[in-house]
Amino acid sequence: MNDFKLVVRNLLGSRSRFALTLVGITLGITSLVVMMSLGAGLRAQIDKQAADLGANLIVTPKGWCAYEQVKVLSGTQLPDAIPAEDLAAIEQLEGIRVLPYLTVGSAIDNEPVPVTGIRMDETVASKRWSLAEGEVPQAEEALEVLAGAAVADSFGLAVGDALTLRGATFTVAGVLEAAGTGDDGVLFIPLAAAQKVYETDGRISFAAVQVDDLDAVDLAAQRITDAANVAVVSDRQLLASVLSVVNTVSTTLRIIAAVAVLTAAFGIVNTMLMATFERRREIGIMKSIGSSNARIFRTFMAEAATYGVVGGLIGLAVGTGVSRLLTPLIAQNEFTAFVGGARVDAVPPLADMALILGGAVVVATLAGVYPAWRAARLTPVEAISYE
Amino acid sequence: MSSAPMGAAITGGTTAAREHVMTVRDAHKTYEGRGVPVHALRGVDLDIDTGSFTCLIGPSGHGKSTLLHLLGGLDRPSSGSVTVLGEHIERMSDAQLARFRAHRIGFVFQFFNLLKGLTVAENVQLAMSFAGASAREQRSRTDELLASVGLSAKRDARANELSGGQMQRVAIARALANDPEVLLLDEPTGNLDSASESEVLGILDGLHAEGRTIVMVTHSLEIAARAERIVEVHDGRVLA
Repeated sequence: MNDFKLVVRNLLGSRSRFALTLVGITLGITSLVVMMSLGAGLRAQIDKQAADLGANLIVTPKGWCAYEQVKVLSGTQLPDAIPAEDLAAIEQLEGIRVLPYLTVGSAIDNEPVPVTGIRMDETVASKRWSLAEGEVPQAEEALEVLAGAAVADSFGLAVGDALTLRGATFTVAGVLEAAGTGDDGVLFIPLAAAQKVYETDGRISFAAVQVDDLDAVDLAAQRITDAANVAVVSDRQLLASVLSVVNTVSTTLRIIAAVAVLTAAFGIVNTMLMATFERRREIGIMKSIGSSNARIFRTFMAEAATYGVVGGLIGLAVGTGVSRLLTPLIAQNEFTAFVGGARVDAVPPLADMALILGGAVVVATLAGVYPAWRAARLTPVEAISYE
Repeated sequence: MSSAPMGAAITGGTTAAREHVMTVRDAHKTYEGRGVPVHALRGVDLDIDTGSFTCLIGPSGHGKSTLLHLLGGLDRPSSGSVTVLGEHIERMSDAQLARFRAHRIGFVFQFFNLLKGLTVAENVQLAMSFAGASAREQRSRTDELLASVGLSAKRDARANELSGGQMQRVAIARALANDPEVLLLDEPTGNLDSASESEVLGILDGLHAEGRTIVMVTHSLEIAARAERIVEVHDGRVLA
């Protein structure tokens, strides 16, 4: 007979209570894993998207908030707010390369689809896109589409297929390889064609700017704002701005999860206190045959910690599964479009999983301290006399 | 402190030649019961000889079990001294008392007090684990003990699957797990039918014959008559 066996027997002695308490801690850990997975996935995707933008500076209309800046990364529809003359003025500046974007929207089979007007060759080269089939539209005003992998897959688009955008018939010229970013969910059309069909009068939504001399990024930003009535943010600033919003959401999610874990911890306290009460006689028997207070304390603590280990492991497994199932559903909104547009690795990093499991064990063990102390301090006679 | 209360005769009677394994001097035990002190023991003096078989008898609630608890180190006296196997119970810490109980005392209770979630063998082994016995020692000693109480076949049965007599025999095996010098029994046959009672008493006779010191609380004068010595506890005092 050893401590481990005794702990297992004690826990399984009341199977239904063991299972219910385990459900509590499992739910807490599951929610923590789901929240952390979604938060981490969102941040990772934003990082990737920002890197994919391939720009040092983002030119936006003045007065855009962080929420609108998020949309720069997501490819969702934005107002055509930068006039042609401002774009022209920026493009005249030396030492920079400008990639204008006009983000508009359309629908296929009544489902909204983001459509973005780009300068095809420049953007394809800048983003290092690969074609899965077909070719990149060449003519500036060609009514041709370069479809992202996900949107092509969703709507069964193939080279040569026709689709109507704003009353104009476009032909699919090429389909991109999956890039794992929000670009996969976008239909790209030549910028000039987009401006014509959507009647933007030469306006664009925003522009990504690559600066030749990386040491002169701040100077380039200054020159752009001097030349045009626009706002300029660096890619790092944009990322920080977006991440600050994401972090707020992420922190809120974590707080909710922490409350769930804390609730589970109180469930353990309750269960262990009940066990202490119900097993008073048993504690007395153990003491009468030679168990020390320390051993009783250890046994109860081990039982509490077991809830953390088992509940933590199940919670990690269930949480990971739930994250995988929920991610695509939760991602169906503009803010989290990054996640929906591309596959997010919903498994938290190993270090995070270890941290969660460790945290579960610590919380469960701490929850066991008071009941274990109560059990250990029972006098043998008091305990054994209990009926 | 020998006594022959209620007209019972002292059986055996070789106490004078033996050393005292237990000595109680002016022991008092007072509990706080709902704000009112309850004097369970009021100045008990008692000597128990090595290898003797002593029965504590007396009315319910007069201090027999309390005295047994003091002798076994389950409790400390409020005042006075209790010396068992040369150790002063009243001076020992909780940890020392636990070690003392694990190694030197065996307890048997009226209601068996087995851990019902454990098997027969595990109940016996648990006591050995508290004394630090290795797994191998636990297994071999358990087999011996269960054979000695005729329960080898029930080794892997759950404690709660046994009859009362079987449970009490397991409790005796458990009490002997660490080969204690002293066996303390609190009404061990109080919950048994007559056949089981005979079995248990037969085992106790055998243990006494081996030279083990036995102190047993009982209500039954018939059972008490099997002991070498009968001590009557009345109103918290040992009657002279």
